[in-house]
Parts: sequence; structure tokens; C-alpha cells
Amino acid sequence: MINKVLNRLDPLLILSAALMGVALYLIFIWVPTETNQGAVQRILYFHVPVAWGSMMGILVVSGSSFMYLWKKNEKWDRLAVASAEVGVVFGGIMLLSGMIWARPVWAVWWTGEAKLTTALILFFIYVAYLMFRAYFPPGAHRQRLAAIIGVTGAIDTPIIYFATNLWSQAHPPLVTGPAADADSTLGSDLGIVLLASTIAFTFLFIFLVQNRYKIRKSEDDLVELKRASSTSVMTGAN
Amino acid sequence: MKKAIVCPGIGTGTARLAIALILALSATTALSQSSSAQDKSILSGIVVGVETDNNDRLTRFAVSDSTGTVTTFELSTNTEFGLENQSGDRWVSSQGEEPAESARRLRDHRERFAPITVSSQNGIATSVVEREEGKLETNLGYLFAVFAITWALFFAYVLYMGRKQRVLQHEIAKLKSSIANADRT
Repeated sequence: MINKVLNRLDPLLILSAALMGVALYLIFIWVPTETNQGAVQRILYFHVPVAWGSMMGILVVSGSSFMYLWKKNEKWDRLAVASAEVGVVFGGIMLLSGMIWARPVWAVWWTGEAKLTTALILFFIYVAYLMFRAYFPPGAHRQRLAAIIGVTGAIDTPIIYFATNLWSQAHPPLVTGPAADADSTLGSDLGIVLLASTIAFTFLFIFLVQNRYKIRKSEDDLVELKRASSTSVMTGAN
Repeated sequence: MKKAIVCPGIGTGTARLAIALILALSATTALSQSSSAQDKSILSGIVVGVETDNNDRLTRFAVSDSTGTVTTFELSTNTEFGLENQSGDRWVSSQGEEPAESARRLRDHRERFAPITVSSQNGIATSVVEREEGKLETNLGYLFAVFAITWALFFAYVLYMGRKQRVLQHEIAKLKSSIANADRT
């Protein structure tokens, strides 16, 4: 019975769920309360990993769009669409969680500073990419133009990452990555939890992209079958 | 029979590997937690004693929990403080930076019977913060909102994808059978 259930489940889903369980345990039970902000600081362990997922999304869109332009292989185009859609979900959650966090610590829901504005632009890039694909007539021309949008969209990623270093404002400085300030890096406990949460959200991102890719493949199969069906009907009529 | 959603190239072998990885992760977490639980602790209560040296720098303090048990904590230069005054302004510093101010803040908490939460390791306080339970509406409400929105959106998206895939599979199966019928006739 258990084997039957496990065989029907995607291993990636099981892995994502298990890692998420570990991350939630660390976030809500294991890690001590941060001295500066109190309990609300735990939003960091959701906000940063979804922001990472959102940026990873645009990098995958850009990379696969580039590969599509180069190889002209449909699978790269499918991967770009799948990643863009999942990126919108991650981007939306990044903006919402950031706004909810900003309210108790900055006393405003939104402020027009560099990091927030560039993150909002990233969300709009995703939306523009998907809207373009939805409203432009289907065909190789649409895929080519969408790929160009996808490749250029990634320009926003380093701007978001370095925004706090370039224009120091209300948003906290970088705590992870190559450009992180040595004085502002997280403590060991907080760092471990952030890393665990980021790994869990990365697997969730991969799982979602994988499933969206399969849907896109099914959509393409359906179009092919419709074409074949109309051909066979026409042949039958003749 | 409904087909399992499995990534191409990922079979039951990978599923077993994934499950083994999960079990290993859970065991590691449980073991690390049980070993760290011996020397790490978190305690909430009221400040009942503040000890300072000749320069009025904090050296030790005592906290009484809800059962009346008094625990004394030593300090290190890395001990962090996040304490609020009566009007709610938060003071953030460490024992290494402002040992005299930390003593003054703890005395203030003792006089006001304001509860604190102390995280400690081997009897040495690592952080001393305002007890968070007292601010459910202002703090945990926002945390809950983020948590709820994040998971509601992810669940909604997964459900949407599952539904879309089912509809597509149904349409594909229908078309395949109609093409097969047309070919036969």
C-alpha cells in the first residue's frame, strides 16, 4: 500500500516536502528570536528564498531563451515558458512578503527605493514575457521575439542583487553571496536556517518548473494532434 | 489507471534514494537537535536580580520563570540585547559594546516586571530579548500573514497545474481515439 502511494508520487515532490518540513521546524522551533526585530524577522526565511527563486527563474528564462535562439529546439522554449510562469509566482510572493515585512519594521507597505523598484521591474518583466506569449500570434516568430525578451530580462538580476550596495537606503544590506558585507553577515544559527530554507525552496522551484514543463509539452502535443486530426478528417472527406 | 507523475529518467530507484535522503536528513536533524538541546536553552520570565561590577557594568542577572524557579545567567561579550523601554522604543546592542547600559535596561525591566526571553548556552546568555508573546497582534500577525499567503499561493498554483494537466491528458486521449477511429474507417 505504502509502496503503491510512493510510486505514484513524484520523488521531487517528496523531497521538496521533506526539506520544507525540516526548514519549517528550523524556522519556527529551532532558531532563536532575533534581537533587533523579534518574531517578525522570521519572515526573512520565506522572503529571501522566494526572492532567490524569483531571480533563479529569470536566469533560467534567459539561459533557455538563449539556447532556443541558438539551437532552435522547442524544449528550450518550453523550459523558458515554464520557468517564467513559476517565476511570476515566486516574484509575486517575494513582493507580498516584502510588503508585509516592511509594514512593522519600516512603518510603510511600500517605498520607492532601488531594491524594491528593481524587484517590481523583475515581476513586470515576467508578466510582460507571459502576456507577449499569450497575445502574439503563435509560431516561430513569436518564440523568437519572446526569447529576445527573455534574454534581455536577465539584465535586471545583477541590478537587484547589487541595489543595496549601489544605492544604500532602507532595505537591509546583502547578507549572503559574493557581495555581502562582512559586518552584516548572518550569525551561524540564522545562516543555517536561511540556507536550509533556500535549499527547500530551490527544490520546490525545480518541482514546479518540471511540472509546468510537462503541461507545456502536453499543450504542444495537443496542438499537433489537433492538426493530425483535422488532416485525417480532410483525407476521410476526400 | 492514473499514471504516476514521474520525471523522465526518474524511476523507483530514484524514489528510494529520495526517501533514504529524507530519512537521513530527519535523523541528522533529530540527532543534532537532541545533542544541542543539552546545552542550549530558551527561558522566559521576569528579571529578579542584576549584578554589576564597580564600574556599573553588568556581570550577571537572574530570571524567575512562571514556576518561580530562579535561573542565573552569566554573560559574554557576544551576548546580544534587544530590549524595549516603556514607550516601546527598542534598544539593540551587545554586552561587549554597552555593558553599563545593558545593566540599566535590565534594572528597568525588573522595576516594570516586564518579561524577557533569554537564549543561553552552557549557562551563558547568548541573547536577551523582549518576550515576544506580549506582542501577538503586532508581530506574529504579520508572520502568520506571510506564511499563509505563501502557502495558499503555492497550493493554489499546484492545484491549478494538476487540474490543467488532467484536462489536457483527457483531451489528448479523446483526440487519439478519434484519430484511430478515423484511420480505421
